[in-house]
Amino acid sequence: MSRNAHPQAMAPAKPGATRTAPPQLPDRFPFGGRYLAYTLFDLTGVLYLLLGLLVLGAVWSLGSGESAWNAVLERYRSPFYVGFHAIALVGVIFVGIRFFGFFPKSQPPRIGSVNPPPKSVILAMLYALWLGITVCLSIVLAGGVFR
Amino acid sequence: MKHPLLKLEPLIWLLFGQGILLGTVLLTPWVLVVGLAIPLGIVPADALSYERAIALGSHIVGRVILLGLIALPLWKGAHHVRHTLIDFGGAERDALVAPLLYLIATVGSVLALVAVARI
Repeated sequence: MSRNAHPQAMAPAKPGATRTAPPQLPDRFPFGGRYLAYTLFDLTGVLYLLLGLLVLGAVWSLGSGESAWNAVLERYRSPFYVGFHAIALVGVIFVGIRFFGFFPKSQPPRIGSVNPPPKSVILAMLYALWLGITVCLSIVLAGGVFR
Repeated sequence: MKHPLLKLEPLIWLLFGQGILLGTVLLTPWVLVVGLAIPLGIVPADALSYERAIALGSHIVGRVILLGLIALPLWKGAHHVRHTLIDFGGAERDALVAPLLYLIATVGSVLALVAVARI
């Protein structure tokens, strides 16, 4: 049985001339069926917020001197941070796969006088970009080049 | 009167979208190497010794990447957390929650600028 949604969730700015039924939350929201991926995608916002703040802390420490930077690297070795980054990696990959899946579907039928490339080509280009940048930046960060 | 956040909606969506696209692309190698490979000993720790980290981070390309790595995920996070809270709790508290989340993203972005300038 569906549940009542917040009565003002879809309310227009001005009341309409006719009465409408109160909005209903879908039966399977938030974790049933296709809502699971939708809700998890939303919840990755928490991960990204934390990752942004964590990288900010690391970069700030880098600017604060050698001991502050080494303290960050040391802190990252703790099981808590390793566990968080493992979850974060899964979350980031999930976001990439889901978002790149949306991307070809959101293209207009025509761009000016030309048709956009086929969906499979757009998807292949996105994954190539993702993989290429990941490999290049990983090599740089891991000391493979620019030593 | 139009709510100020509605006026900023195009900018917020731009930063949110880039947070997903570029944020994801930049976060993947960062989390892989800095968050996992170095702490687990897969990559030697001296790969990001202070001297090398300074050299990479103080380059103009390094500064731009670090700025994107901080600011874009903050905007993606703020906007998604806002909509998660609306989905679960309704829009009642949105007038308070949305400005608070975007304030975190704004302050974080300004601090990111300062942080990359300090390197």
